[in-house]
Amino acid sequence: MIGRRTLAVALFALVLAVVVLAEAADKKVIRLWQTETEPQTLAVLNQIAAEYEKTHPDVSVKIEGLAWGDLEKKLTAALAAGAPPDAAHGQPITCVSFAAKGLLRPVDDLADSIPKDNLVDAFRNLCQWDGKTYGVGHSPASSVFVYRKDLLAQKSLKVPRTWDELVQVAETLKEVRDGQVVRWGLTMTGQPLFVNIAVGELLKTNGGRLFDAEGRPTLTEKPVLELLDFYKKLGRVLPPGWTGHSYLDTFANLANDKAAMLYQAYGRGVGYIEKYAAKDIADPDHFAVADKVVGPSGRTPAAQLDCEPWMVFKDARGGPEAVDFLKFFFRDEHYVPYLHSVPIHLLSIKKSTSRNPRYADNAMIRKWRPWVDMQEKYFRNDWIKPVLVTDWEDMKKPYLLEVMGSGILVDMVLDAVKGVPSAEAAARAQKRVEELLASSGYLKK
Amino acid sequence: MRRRLPEAVLGVLWILPALVLIAGLILYPVAYAIWLSLFDKHSFFPAERWVGLGNYARIAGDAEFWDSLWKGVVYAGASTVLQLVLGLAAALVLHQAFRGRTAIRALVLFPYMIPTIVAVIVWRWLLNETYGVVDDVLVRLRLVREPVVWLGVDHMMTSLIAVSVWQFTPFVVVSVLARLQTIPLELGEAARVDGASAWARFRHITLPQLRGVLFVVVLLRSIWMFTKFDTVWLWGEGAGAGREIRTLPIYAYMRTFTYYQAGFGAALAVIMFLMLMAATLVYFRLFWGEEDAA
Repeated sequence: MIGRRTLAVALFALVLAVVVLAEAADKKVIRLWQTETEPQTLAVLNQIAAEYEKTHPDVSVKIEGLAWGDLEKKLTAALAAGAPPDAAHGQPITCVSFAAKGLLRPVDDLADSIPKDNLVDAFRNLCQWDGKTYGVGHSPASSVFVYRKDLLAQKSLKVPRTWDELVQVAETLKEVRDGQVVRWGLTMTGQPLFVNIAVGELLKTNGGRLFDAEGRPTLTEKPVLELLDFYKKLGRVLPPGWTGHSYLDTFANLANDKAAMLYQAYGRGVGYIEKYAAKDIADPDHFAVADKVVGPSGRTPAAQLDCEPWMVFKDARGGPEAVDFLKFFFRDEHYVPYLHSVPIHLLSIKKSTSRNPRYADNAMIRKWRPWVDMQEKYFRNDWIKPVLVTDWEDMKKPYLLEVMGSGILVDMVLDAVKGVPSAEAAARAQKRVEELLASSGYLKK
Repeated sequence: MRRRLPEAVLGVLWILPALVLIAGLILYPVAYAIWLSLFDKHSFFPAERWVGLGNYARIAGDAEFWDSLWKGVVYAGASTVLQLVLGLAAALVLHQAFRGRTAIRALVLFPYMIPTIVAVIVWRWLLNETYGVVDDVLVRLRLVREPVVWLGVDHMMTSLIAVSVWQFTPFVVVSVLARLQTIPLELGEAARVDGASAWARFRHITLPQLRGVLFVVVLLRSIWMFTKFDTVWLWGEGAGAGREIRTLPIYAYMRTFTYYQAGFGAALAVIMFLMLMAATLVYFRLFWGEEDAA
């Protein structure tokens, strides 16, 4: 038989559970999906959420970290299921695509909370559609080209400035011992997202484009063919398995002395260098940054803008609360710890934060200053563009997300790498993109 | 006096919950996929346009489809045959009496029990040509001069098949072993007394007894490998070389969730379903035909 005491405890527990559940049901839950998955960044974000909840007891903020490469697929699946989060990061082209499809809520209220002249110039119009703002970048970064300064000096090599020089220098830097390659000249990732990024970036450095003014793909143009020829040459200097290497593998290759140069590095790579490279060389004097190399038909370097805008979904029940939380997030007392969680990668979107002494007071930023300067140089010169964007006008094309997701450009590069003549690989991709755009109603046959 | 329901009605009522479940969970999704395949439908917009068999006509002329189909057949065929051969061999060994048999039987099950994501991560790490253990051992033993690029364009399919065989062979082992244990020992003993060799005993006694279970194993494994998504997706995920293993389920997923063409994706799924149905019918016919002849 159940004793009175046991019964009383059980009843108390039941009442407590009901009260807790009732309280939880009263709270409005806002869900945010974002791409910063490093544990220290997630900890800061959860701390910001906890601070917000203290002043907004009726709101519960749930923040989930998603891997970069998965974001678009997961957002699409969530949208297809009719259950998107309230707010999420997305590539700028994702934001434009979703805005054009009427899936997003304008966030002019969030954008207006940051005075226009306080935003870093390059990021003012990151996600505009029909004159409205649909996204505000959380933090900008630029891809950078990293090389081992000491290794180049040992072989009296100059920093490469062109595609051809890059191949030559990488060939010279390749280190073979007992018939085995112990250090490759260059490392690059074969991860589809980053191949898409590289195609846009390299094409830009070669004066090329992916689409003409009418929105028709231009993959059979000379700059694209030169790009594919360049990939064929890279095959000589990259590790043979590069097409299977992830973005993090390339950081590991660089930090562990398995490669002398990394074409698509990002600020977060210094974390790997600090952690895995020999202590006496884990500094910017050994892991130096330089301008991105320029193609035979190009004139200026170019890099990828890594700056996912915060988007708020139109049908989100917690839309206004999500915007309110994001305003809270951008306040320096919260924003600076967030930026400091990956200090060389998460740069400030606000000029005032960059000038804030509290922001500058960071050992990593002081130590890796050349990496930050290089990124800021790209911002200043407008040498950065989002993935697959070779001209800011491309941001008016709502189908770049589909082109990226289809993997057609990755297949084109892979075809070339596998030995298909560049013209044939390009023609095949051109036909597929035309078919994709025509079947989606973006292009008349 | 209360009237009793007729037995037939009562019977239907008894099976009604199961029928509703089957209709809701199996028939409705299949019917919906077929219906969807007749429309030009965006993946997350309600608007749809009737295209009849248009999606099927497009698929017939789609080079990517044929490429994916071929890759799917290679993957399913090679991995099923290898699982069958290795699984059968392992089951025969584990049927023998030897010290440590119980521990080894438990160990053999291990690959089938661990989550796919774990298996994939561990194998990708082991097979990495830069820092993986497998290549290191092969080079040290001088079996290869250069590390083999298992995750590159040339060996992506081979490595996927190898990992899938490692992961799913235990299913064959368990199924065959269970049947082996029910074969009367006297049959083998009598054949031995009559002077039959080990091969003859296997060929004329064991194998015929295993026909039933092998039939089911081949059927299930080939269907499961042809429709396998998780292992293939995870193996190719994050690699440009993933294209080398873009089988039909992956292609259907891509059309639905990255091209946003839900109608086209559904048509691919329907084609996959019909192909499996046809193959299963042919397989059944062949098997029962042989049974009848026997």
